[in-house]
Amino acid sequence: MKAHWTIFYKETAQMLRSQRGLLWLLAFSGLLSAFSLLLVSNTELSLLDNAQVVYMMAGTILAAGALLAAILGSDAYAGEKERGTLMPLLCAPIGVNALLAGKILGLLSAWGVMFAVATPYLWAMGASGQNLGAAVFYLALFGTPVVLGFGYLAMALSARTGSVLASLLSTITLFMLAATPILIGPGLRGTTIGRAMDAVNPFAGALNTFDSVIIDSEPFAAQVGRLLLVVAWLGVCLLAARRSATHPKFQ
Amino acid sequence: MRIWKYLLMAVIIMILSLAVSAAAEAPLALDLSPDDQNPSGPVMGDHLRFWSTITNRGDIPIEGLVAWISLVEIDPGNEQPVDLEDWSAQKAVTGASLGPKQSLRTDWPMRLIKGGDYRVVVSVTDRGGRRVFTSPTVQFHVRQKPVLQAGRVLAVAIGVPLLFIGLMAFNNAKRRRKKGV
Repeated sequence: MKAHWTIFYKETAQMLRSQRGLLWLLAFSGLLSAFSLLLVSNTELSLLDNAQVVYMMAGTILAAGALLAAILGSDAYAGEKERGTLMPLLCAPIGVNALLAGKILGLLSAWGVMFAVATPYLWAMGASGQNLGAAVFYLALFGTPVVLGFGYLAMALSARTGSVLASLLSTITLFMLAATPILIGPGLRGTTIGRAMDAVNPFAGALNTFDSVIIDSEPFAAQVGRLLLVVAWLGVCLLAARRSATHPKFQ
Repeated sequence: MRIWKYLLMAVIIMILSLAVSAAAEAPLALDLSPDDQNPSGPVMGDHLRFWSTITNRGDIPIEGLVAWISLVEIDPGNEQPVDLEDWSAQKAVTGASLGPKQSLRTDWPMRLIKGGDYRVVVSVTDRGGRRVFTSPTVQFHVRQKPVLQAGRVLAVAIGVPLLFIGLMAFNNAKRRRKKGV
């Protein structure tokens, strides 16, 4: 079996078969359940109110995915170092790319499970409304590069600092900066600085796409620019992770 | 003194009659009607279409015509104009010109976003004139469609966390059994 698949199986098992992985999924489902139950009493929503709910839920799933990526990515190298398992791993005949690929595949499977857990919630909230299929499709299309990008970024910081705490704090701070569109209103986002930030922020790009396809029913052609942004984000983070993983500073 | 009163009355009557005749000779005639294909009992999410016909009854062409549609909610206690942003992509026709005795027929598609009673009207003005002409209104009722089914949401919101609690309990029991062995 190739090395990256071995690492992938190990990472996936750690995340999904361990109690801590199940606890994370329980917390995630609890968050989505609370969100859903808040709205269950209001059955006279308009079509757009319903679409707004699905949009907010897609944003919440994306944020939770990025947070998970920050945690798993921070643990990727620094966690191995702190547990004393990094040296045997680096001494084993595993290339930098295979190690990176195994780690990111583990993260991809965790994101896949989160996505599978979130899908029934999206269905329950949006099946009677509009654009449910588009919501699921674009969450996968835009959410995956954004989440994996945060994973790579956390891995880059993890390999560079050798500290889970330092890497996690840095990634979460950057994540919070990227997630400001959730916190600030459309008014502030409409200013020149707000628009400039939106133009380079992959998280905002994904959110704007959710808004565009779920609420405004806009076609794929309107999303191409933002898709390029999130793919570029993934590429830049991958390069950063590869560079840091090739020459870990803490070795 | 009485002469002045008569004179004043005559002037007022003259002005009023001029106004009435001007109104009677409005250069634009405007009509609005629902499409024949519209559902008889529209539900939220359905599409409606309205047709307006603007006719130039005058002898001179009208340039720079602007026609726009307005929607008003008339539910008791909730009377308000509706922002058409999400209801319709076609909210206005601009820049059209209309020769003498010519007509302009325009369709106004609309997607029904929210339940309630509504009234729709089309207004027209032109570049040179200062008047706004309005069509007769068309009233319709949109039946509310439940967009959130409590049973479905409850099943998922309770079922999924319970599934993970069950899995965790199963894992714990398995581990304890292994330790026991």
